[in-house]
Amino acid sequence: MDVQQIEQILMELRFTAELSNEDQRKLAGISRLQEYSKGATVFTEGSDHKDIYVIRSGRAEICMSIPARGCLPVLTLEAGDLVGWSSILKLGEMTATVVAMEDTQMVAIDAADLRELCEQDHDIGYQIMQRIATALSQRLVASRLQVLDMYGDINSFNSSQ
Amino acid sequence: MSDELLADIARSCFLSNDQFAKLFEVLHTLDYEVIGPTIDQEAIVYDRLTSVHDLPRGWTDIQEPGKYRLEKRDDDALFGYVVGPHSWKQKLFPPVSTLSVADRTDDGWQFTEPEQELPKFAFLGVRACELAALKIQDRVFIGGPYVDPSYQERRSQALIIAVNCTQAASTCFCTSMNTGPRCKAGYDLALTELPDGFVVEVATPEGEIVINALETQIATDEKQRQAEATRQQAVDQITRKLDTTDIRDLLLSNLEHPQWDDVAERCLSCTNCTMVCPTCFCSSVEEVSDLTGDHVERERKWDSCFNVDFSYMNGGLVRNSIRNRYRQWMTHKLATWIDQFGTSGCVGCGRCITWCPVGIDLTQEVAAIREKQT
Amino acid sequence: MNSSCSTTGENANSQSNPWVPNTAVIREITPEVNEVATYHLALADPTAAKAYHFQPGQFNMLYVPGAGESAISMSGNPDSPETLTHTIRVAGNVTRSIAAMKVGDTLGLRGPFGTSWPLDACAGQDVILVAGGIGLPPLRPVIYRLLAERQRYGRLHLLYGARSPDMRLYTEENRLWSEGGLEVKETVDRSNPGWYGNVGVVPLLLERLESFDPAQTILMICGPGLMMRFTARTAIQRGMTAEQIWVSTERNMQCAVGLCGHCLLGPEFICKDGPIFRYDQISPYLKVEGL
Repeated sequence: MDVQQIEQILMELRFTAELSNEDQRKLAGISRLQEYSKGATVFTEGSDHKDIYVIRSGRAEICMSIPARGCLPVLTLEAGDLVGWSSILKLGEMTATVVAMEDTQMVAIDAADLRELCEQDHDIGYQIMQRIATALSQRLVASRLQVLDMYGDINSFNSSQ
Repeated sequence: MSDELLADIARSCFLSNDQFAKLFEVLHTLDYEVIGPTIDQEAIVYDRLTSVHDLPRGWTDIQEPGKYRLEKRDDDALFGYVVGPHSWKQKLFPPVSTLSVADRTDDGWQFTEPEQELPKFAFLGVRACELAALKIQDRVFIGGPYVDPSYQERRSQALIIAVNCTQAASTCFCTSMNTGPRCKAGYDLALTELPDGFVVEVATPEGEIVINALETQIATDEKQRQAEATRQQAVDQITRKLDTTDIRDLLLSNLEHPQWDDVAERCLSCTNCTMVCPTCFCSSVEEVSDLTGDHVERERKWDSCFNVDFSYMNGGLVRNSIRNRYRQWMTHKLATWIDQFGTSGCVGCGRCITWCPVGIDLTQEVAAIREKQT
Repeated sequence: MNSSCSTTGENANSQSNPWVPNTAVIREITPEVNEVATYHLALADPTAAKAYHFQPGQFNMLYVPGAGESAISMSGNPDSPETLTHTIRVAGNVTRSIAAMKVGDTLGLRGPFGTSWPLDACAGQDVILVAGGIGLPPLRPVIYRLLAERQRYGRLHLLYGARSPDMRLYTEENRLWSEGGLEVKETVDRSNPGWYGNVGVVPLLLERLESFDPAQTILMICGPGLMMRFTARTAIQRGMTAEQIWVSTERNMQCAVGLCGHCLLGPEFICKDGPIFRYDQISPYLKVEGL
């Protein structure tokens, strides 16, 4: 797949749609399209992974490994969602495993290249970081709601108005 | 009663003290149960009266925040005091009443209205602030989409004999709430006490029936002047004020004001204020079953937003602190009541100030919020 | 102060006395998920049964003599009011008593009470129903109405979240609804083995909804308060206004006729000014802790 086709995809994805044409071209230059068939592992918890992804189509599941219980799903992601944010933030290991739940296409961006791009061009760096921050804040809120177990019975931590 | 009809009927006359004493016989003959002020447990309360001798002749009340006591007057006035811990709501909206009855039959549960005796009251001694309170409770119980049948029945049969205040307690602030001290509407008869009798204003056909059974005299200009002067005393004696300028917006835009924490340190959440308030209407419903469980009655009892479990929901309390409960009471009484019923819920009678064991004064709480708005 | 489209429904029982219940018979019981069952009731008195009509979102006070009353929304077809359907979760004495009842048992019923969902505002619009857990039953009457006249509306979505896959309600009806023109998306907070659907809170479903035009959408949300606030927040972030969003609120209801004071939230009596409110009107009060 060539750069122009990737640019086209970036124009459609919510994550990158509002970037300027020039920024999208720069991003397209360090991106590629990856296909995962149903059940394929995108990356595993603890690994030192090189890419950050935006899902173009399909569905993926984030799961975390608990001894004797397996890899438990905590969140499913769909088209438009960011995957693998840990790699760009140089945090080291991935914090969860991601598995494709159906045939899935993702735009994969080399994390090191992206960091380099952001270093050199702070404008695009700001745009990217802003989008990552937004995505993460939504995840954080969602996680909090899950923790609060708001459908729980009377005796569990309940919602109130 | 419409204003036109009032104007048609409205007239004044004068009733001597002797004739006033005969009022009780007249009311009894007309099958009224007379309720009015009388002394009980060192307070002037509202209870059944059989004759003029049950009235607190020659007594007055001294009221301050958290204080109430009776003192002898140096005259024989029958109505020389203001309002005590009771209000007329206890007769129209009784503290305990049965709402419905359930009986288990072969065809399952059957539900019926309770058999209630619905007495015909004559309220003797209703003050201007209380007329306003009656109007407010009318709006709540019979002026909305759902009508409370028991209140409606009691209210429609009640005869209102109002009395114009001739003095004010230190806790009164009816002038701030535009509810008094002059009785202007909502009564059948209104009395102003003079040393030798009463100037009577007759407003309704029901009032006419009563007054026509007594010997009346003309209310001369001199008598009217005396009556006006004595009523003016009440106005002059009012010292407490509540600034109601924009009070709704003031309170609703200061729901996190530190004053709520301040009052919460003093408030005991004892519910006295809601019990004595003539407009408070919160209640709870309980099941009362016989031993077999086949006959169950639903009983409505006065409740209070200050009671800890009043706001219970889903295993927890929505208003889990005195701060939140005090805020609920005051913002409802002075602010959101206006949204709901078109008027303030407060009539300025001052009872909540007098009967609060720690003397909390809502006029001062409002002033504190107004002074330092967040 | 409340601009939802329908006003309180006519009280079908003792017209003059809103306190006295009518006798209702349990005709059928459908177990749903753990601690939840659907009760199909009918008023015993044929005149009362015939006179009874309700709008989607309204509730009844169900009365078990000796235990008390509980406010339960109707979850059935508003165009078949000869059967009054209530999906009930055990949450206290009254609901526990009902859960112990059998077909043929009787209880008391007062109603219908409360405001209703704004179906009139939906003509020509896309409609998104967002439900969480036991919040789906009060929205099901809306679904009946929407699908009965499918052509009146634009795109129809149901976004439904439950605690776990085995706690989802009405799953057998999903296919019927999809075929009727309502697109159903489900998610769970935590998954079970064997679940291949979405995992995550329900606001995320709204976040990701592709075919979404904020300018011509009506949103109705019913579920735990926290979930409603965050779903509304997501909708507003995506370009909707608070005037296009409707929520169903909850308070302890005792009299259901605005006279006991228990259900007050700010100036609103939840029983008669609500429980369904337009979001802009109720959100200032929902946001104040302990109001």
